[in-house]
Amino acid sequence: MTALSLFEKSTTYNGAYIFMMANRFQMLYFVFIMPTYLIHPYMIWGIVLVGILSHFNLMLLSKWFRSRFATKGYDGFVEVFGETLVRFFAWIGLFFLLLKASIILIGYVEIVRTFIYPSMNQKWLILFMLMISWYVASKGMETTIRLIVIAFFMIIWIILLIVPFYLPPIAAFHDLFPLIPLEWTEVNWEGLLFIWSSLSGPEYLICLGPWLRPNENTFKSLAYANALTVLEYLLLFVGSLFFFGSNYVSTTIYPVVNMYRYLQSPVIERIDMLLISIYLFQFVFAISVLLLCFYGVARIAGRKTTKPTSRMGYFASWLTILACTMIINEWAWNGGTVVNRLLNLQIWSGAITYLLVPSFLLISIYRKGRV
Amino acid sequence: MFSKKNKKNNDPTKTLPSTTVQTPVTLDNLKRVLANIDEAEIIERQTNNGQQVMLLYIRSLVNLERLNEAIVEPLNTSSHLTIHEYMISSKVSRMITLEEAETHLLRGNVILYGMDHEEFWAVPLQNTLSRSIQQSGTETIIYGAKDSFSELLEQNITMIRRRIPLMNLKTESFTIGSISKTEVVILYIEGITNPDYVSIARKKIASIDFDQFLDSSQVAAFMEDHKHSVFPQFQETDRPDSCAFSLGIGKLVILVGNTSYALIAPITFFHLFQSPEDYFLRWIISSFLRCIRYLSFIISVTLIPFYVAVTTHHYQMIPLQILFVLLESRSKLPFSPFWEAFLMLITLEIIKEASLRMPTKSGQTLGVIGGIVIGQATVAAGFSSNVLIVLVGISAIASFLVPNYEVTKSNSLLQFILLILAAYLGLFGILLGAIGILTHLNALSSLKQPYFAPVAPFYLKEWKDLFIRAPLPWMKTRPEYLHPVQKWRMSRRR
Amino acid sequence: MRWIHAAFALTILSGIIATTGCSPFVENNTIEEIAPVIFWSLNQSDDRHLEISTLVPPLIHEKKRMLTLKVDLQKQGGKEFNLIYYRELKPGQLRVIVINEELARKGVLPLISTYLMDTDISQRLYLIISRGNFEEFMREQLNEQANLDYFLYRMLKHYEASNQGEMSILNLHQFKNKLFSPYADPYLPLFEVKKINLTYKGTAMFRHDKMINMLPLMDDQIFQLINNDHYLKLFAVPSSDVILGHVRSKVDIDLDPSYKNMTIKIDLTGRLEEYRGNKNLHKREDLAKLHQDIEKYLVSRTSDLLKTMQQWKIDPLEIGTRTLHPFSKPISDSEWLNLWEKMKFKIEYRLTIQPLVNVNQ
Repeated sequence: MTALSLFEKSTTYNGAYIFMMANRFQMLYFVFIMPTYLIHPYMIWGIVLVGILSHFNLMLLSKWFRSRFATKGYDGFVEVFGETLVRFFAWIGLFFLLLKASIILIGYVEIVRTFIYPSMNQKWLILFMLMISWYVASKGMETTIRLIVIAFFMIIWIILLIVPFYLPPIAAFHDLFPLIPLEWTEVNWEGLLFIWSSLSGPEYLICLGPWLRPNENTFKSLAYANALTVLEYLLLFVGSLFFFGSNYVSTTIYPVVNMYRYLQSPVIERIDMLLISIYLFQFVFAISVLLLCFYGVARIAGRKTTKPTSRMGYFASWLTILACTMIINEWAWNGGTVVNRLLNLQIWSGAITYLLVPSFLLISIYRKGRV
Repeated sequence: MFSKKNKKNNDPTKTLPSTTVQTPVTLDNLKRVLANIDEAEIIERQTNNGQQVMLLYIRSLVNLERLNEAIVEPLNTSSHLTIHEYMISSKVSRMITLEEAETHLLRGNVILYGMDHEEFWAVPLQNTLSRSIQQSGTETIIYGAKDSFSELLEQNITMIRRRIPLMNLKTESFTIGSISKTEVVILYIEGITNPDYVSIARKKIASIDFDQFLDSSQVAAFMEDHKHSVFPQFQETDRPDSCAFSLGIGKLVILVGNTSYALIAPITFFHLFQSPEDYFLRWIISSFLRCIRYLSFIISVTLIPFYVAVTTHHYQMIPLQILFVLLESRSKLPFSPFWEAFLMLITLEIIKEASLRMPTKSGQTLGVIGGIVIGQATVAAGFSSNVLIVLVGISAIASFLVPNYEVTKSNSLLQFILLILAAYLGLFGILLGAIGILTHLNALSSLKQPYFAPVAPFYLKEWKDLFIRAPLPWMKTRPEYLHPVQKWRMSRRR
Repeated sequence: MRWIHAAFALTILSGIIATTGCSPFVENNTIEEIAPVIFWSLNQSDDRHLEISTLVPPLIHEKKRMLTLKVDLQKQGGKEFNLIYYRELKPGQLRVIVINEELARKGVLPLISTYLMDTDISQRLYLIISRGNFEEFMREQLNEQANLDYFLYRMLKHYEASNQGEMSILNLHQFKNKLFSPYADPYLPLFEVKKINLTYKGTAMFRHDKMINMLPLMDDQIFQLINNDHYLKLFAVPSSDVILGHVRSKVDIDLDPSYKNMTIKIDLTGRLEEYRGNKNLHKREDLAKLHQDIEKYLVSRTSDLLKTMQQWKIDPLEIGTRTLHPFSKPISDSEWLNLWEKMKFKIEYRLTIQPLVNVNQ
């Protein structure tokens, strides 16, 4: 029996991978429901503004990557925080990883169920997706990171399908008016928080530190990824305003998928079914990476870092995510309404991790440098 | 460091597998070895100046005409002091152990025993049985060189050496197989090919322990990193120009004795879609053809599963006009789409396999029967729909567009896997399967090098020779993912 | 290597599950076992009930028959059809909804919201209004024309594609957008059904989701020109005995800042296709006279049309969207309706006609 070596490291990956991963992490589940939260045309500026903030946040993150600790992985963290503290953080990290994996998984499955298999039991879909993620992740961290290239190129072209919505008669400028906020309510603050939270994701790259090759271009890659994400958000949001009009957009569920549903090709109709299935690539990739991170972090939390990776441990991590997802799916996700408590929890947790992780790491290194 | 280890080709004594016991060669020993071999001949002769010489050889392996010319005549006419001086042939070697002697005999060498000095000499007089150089049967092209490898190893090496007249083209030979004693030669260009590949290949060949090798694919089976994959990790070709090209960009070529197929490694998945002709045609045309090839691979793998998915789960996706046709043709069929497609594909595989194994002339008849009669008759009898017959036809033809025959074969298997997933989970299932296949491809390696390069790992610059084939002057460098020692393809660069 | 075994075992396992039929699906969509309905025809039956009918089997060359049911809810109709027909009816290929005029006058929102919510149904669903007994027409035509339902869909699709300028066709998505926009009112094509004829009669106008009235053909032509298609293949002007062909329009609407006055400038280009009047078109003066006549006629018809719209308190031309500005607060829809009712307008036509004959100086 060959040993299972999930965290072996023989090569490192350059900026292109950081770019693709950061971009795809930012384009996960939230982008599908974003227009419902933003509603008003002037939130276009909200996207730009939060995008710029995120840019600065990524600057902090890239500073961490360029420090000598980042590429050392676990040892690096221990060097900065000390072992007890790292284990403490690992426990907290487990919670966030579990939450993120579960929410995006359930979110995507919900979309699949809504548009493709209305009568299917979601548990099956969750199981299938986790099984394929298990297979992907079992190839080890190195090959999983490599898979981003395939996932990225399988998906990135979909954004081009938005073009028909920018052509008349669907596109009319008056759908974008008023362009400046004339009143500001709580909903708008929630919208901004939502954008910030959906831009979160690149902070999970710190777990992949050992496999990356940070250099002076790291920030550039992260910034380009962020810029591409913001561009995609804008394209989708403006497109959905053109398509639905500002009045209706707040009442639709999954506006982005509904837009794709309206497209028609001469060979097949209802290409939304095909596109949703293709999006599987990025979700499987994200869940596989999160699964590996989860196992890695669990090893830190359980003081198992010196021992080799084991099938049992890997399987236990997988089972934890599966069980957690199933439980959340069963109890907390009151199907039908997109807005619910759990989603709010993820919005807040995503926003908090994205805000705190880079700055906290940076402060720690500076303190370390002074001491 | 490699030049030291580099051995001169065709010198069997140095490539002998080291045996533990070294028996000295004597006449008695040799006679014992040759006992019960009917074609073994032992002839005593006397030279012009009265020396006693004994000739030992195996008749079926030796070129008898040349035996007279090169040995018997000189022995009769000239007079020299020692025996090896009689030989016109320059390659006369002396041997000491019995094992050496055995190898020489089995390679078709004639052993000369000078009775006076008690010396054993070997003279190479192999009977080179080979067919003439013919056109490649598996990779046919319209433009470009027409010659292909034959079963004769040396002739194959010659064909490559003619194309690469360089001292840096190094060859290392090994003998594997306890029964077949197959000769395996690694070719590479020193200073271009990454030395790591050579050492990996050397290690892998050295660790082979098996009795018989009748084809190069058997050698590949022992050298592959992933034995359970349906994808070939060594490219098999019988075209010397492909081999020369591969050597030139930094790969290595493995030639196996008595087979007409060379192995090329490390390869990527995308190399299997490249034909030598791509580099001979105009770049726009060959880029177009290459894209068609990828497309047809995707079609051949997914078209039938897609049909099953759509007709089983997603009737919403079919445009009304097509739905009209589909409903009409499917309304009275006995089988569900999955079983219909499954049975048709099995039938197709049977026809394909049969037409390959049949003698050429009846193969044509079979094609007619298989194609027209079965296709038409199943529809007429109401076993399958017209639409499916059309789709099966398209996907079968599409599967043959891939230049590499092994990929064509693995197609059908992938198709069946996707078919089951499609019947079960529809489009979502096909994509699940696709992720599985791509993950598998991504994790594969050929000679420890990533199989899905230059996509994953990502080498953007190498995309110029991936889905498109950029103009040759743009390809200034050798593929980066092969990590060649010398990166530039042009010499005036530096 | 065990992973490969596991994956292999998994494939086999799922294959077994798939072939034995133990599947997580409840729904069977195998196409030979279902009947994808192309159209529903909705009718008012009595106060509470709907009458809902369709042709079965759709899309197959079999003897067709008409199914009609009296139901409370539309989806209930779909369910009950399955009880009386051997193939399961599926709505995923629904293309046309025929709504009876009486039903439309009571409001279509509860009807179409069903189709808006159903993710199985494409939003490119044509809505048409029928005047008369559509079911009877269908029944009559069954023997004459086999695939009537399909050809009805093809007709609508043909006139929708690249704005053929004959009918005002809206699909469900467009209708919904106009319905929910504060500055627009939806409209639908109206077909009159006689025993053997299906005739396009004009555009049915809606206030919110209730049908108000119909624009007759002449007004409908102008409506096509200034709003819907901006194109008419043939435009008959009976008062001048002339038919213009390939008429293209460019409409320029100007609202003054107080929203009290409006100017509509319409550029028409086309060619003279047919003329039966007594003017000599080879003469310049006569041609100019004809221009003037047509323009005058158009101005009066258009102003009538706009006045009708004001009377009906509808704004299908979406003039209200012109009150939107990037840097000001949008006015509410009731506010706009008040303004619209009192709005004064000035209409200018500019006609460019290719005479197709040589004109003498």
